[in-house]
Amino acid sequence: MISIKAISKWYGEFHVLKECSTTVSKGEVVVVCGPSGSGKSTLIKCVNGLEAFQQGEILIDGVSVGARGTNLSKLRSRVGMVFQHFELFPHLTVIQNLTIAQCKVLRRGNREATEKGQRLLDVVGLAAHAEKFPAQLSGGQQQRVAIARALAMDPIAMLFDEPTSALDPEMIKEVLDVMVKLAQEGMTMMVVTHEMGFAREVANRVIFMDQGQIVEDRPKADFFKSPDTDRAQQFLSKILSHGVQT
Amino acid sequence: MVSFVAGLDWNIFFQPAFDGSGTYLRFLLIGLAWTILLSVTAWILAFVIGSIVGVLRTFPGRLLPGLGAVYVELFRNVPLLVQLFLWYFVLPEIIPGLGTWFKQALNPLLQQFVSGVLCLGFFTAARVAEQVRSGINSLGRGQRGAGLALGLNLPQVYQLILLPVAYRIIIPPLTSEFLNIIKNSAVASTIGLAELSRQAQQLGEFTAHWYESFIAVTLLYGIINVTVMIVSQFVERVTRLPGYLGGRK
Ligand SMILES: Nc1ncnc2c1ncn2[C@@H]1O[C@H](COP(=O)(O)OP(=O)(O)OP(=O)(O)O)[C@@H](O)[C@H]1O
Ligand SMILES: [Mg+2]
Repeated sequence: MISIKAISKWYGEFHVLKECSTTVSKGEVVVVCGPSGSGKSTLIKCVNGLEAFQQGEILIDGVSVGARGTNLSKLRSRVGMVFQHFELFPHLTVIQNLTIAQCKVLRRGNREATEKGQRLLDVVGLAAHAEKFPAQLSGGQQQRVAIARALAMDPIAMLFDEPTSALDPEMIKEVLDVMVKLAQEGMTMMVVTHEMGFAREVANRVIFMDQGQIVEDRPKADFFKSPDTDRAQQFLSKILSHGVQT
Repeated sequence: MVSFVAGLDWNIFFQPAFDGSGTYLRFLLIGLAWTILLSVTAWILAFVIGSIVGVLRTFPGRLLPGLGAVYVELFRNVPLLVQLFLWYFVLPEIIPGLGTWFKQALNPLLQQFVSGVLCLGFFTAARVAEQVRSGINSLGRGQRGAGLALGLNLPQVYQLILLPVAYRIIIPPLTSEFLNIIKNSAVASTIGLAELSRQAQQLGEFTAHWYESFIAVTLLYGIINVTVMIVSQFVERVTRLPGYLGGRK
């Protein structure tokens, strides 16, 4: 489904991604973790072409992200993305946030889009908030709207970039619950997160990144039992001992 | 102060103007009308060009933002009076076809008006562009990314996502740019356009009632400004988003 082949990226002189390779098969959930600045966000943004990369290739369902002839907008419309800071559109109501791209990109009629939106709001437990504006919702509610917004496009895969790290602890669970449900329903997911509880529950594999490299890429059970590298070991014990994340 | 004002001869406004256009009151109101017409037309031009240039400055890549920057620096830094003389005296001479048409087909009043509109419009556009740019940049890269990630193309992201919010944010600075355009419109008196400040000047010259003239004209400018402020606050109120940027939940 998502196949990342030896991609490298530079910001000027700075080598952010160093020959990263991995694949996410259909229905698989892959968790990406690693210290701050290790390139997790950059990697995941490369997957849907929000960031350009200089070397390597990324294929989504066989379509090359970086290739010249690729219709990037069309490709992106098939890959959902959820951001750390929600990024709901503040001038649109919740339901409009869910319908705008359906109407403008998928050319669905307003009626169909609204019905679809309402159904998804129901799924994330926010059916009663359709006519509110994003700023009238709590962080956890906003993030669930953002997930519903991405799902409204019927994506073939979902990307998450630290979806819970801007949330107060009591709101983290409501968002993770939605994500767990999504994973259990067979959604293909690539999730940057430090929520190791989530990884334990639904991940198939865990990727550990450090300084722009994929240092480990292993089945969840192996990763948690005994990380190969000292760096991953240290990282793991650090975030597990902090407690909040698990 | 009261006795000074009372001691002035306010009847002057009901006497016939030297040019036979009616009373001096009417004479000043004609100036007011030109000032408003000039400012509003120039503002529309400034808003359109300023939005385009401001948007270009936030585009990806180097070329288009660079062109936008050149525009802003050029029009913001050459003195307004110099720009007006360029539009009015120089450009009609050096642009072959259009310049000749300008000089022959338009009457002097229209020549003054068109030059004034172009001058104020292009000058203010540079300032509007800076506001539009800062409005868009204040939204951060996240909103753009969210729009693109949904499959919207770049023009759609600007039209549907970035600009509607950016314009709301910059209503206060845009208001002060509009007030500036009204003040700056007085520069058109130098090429003879009968706008408010020139009418006041002439009234003073022909009747020697300088005090009455300038008190009246100050009041008129004041009324315009207050009206603009009221309209601006109204626009701000009706476009305010619940819970966002100080809007009530
Ligand atoms: N636009 C940019 N220009 C230059 N350097 C950048 C840019 N964006 C990110 N970087 C650098 O690239 C590196 C990787 O950034 P990235 O955001 O991918 O890290 P991350 O693993 O997501 O970290 P975090 O956990 O803090 O989100 C960082 O060192 C960052 O400073
Ligand atoms: Mg990040």
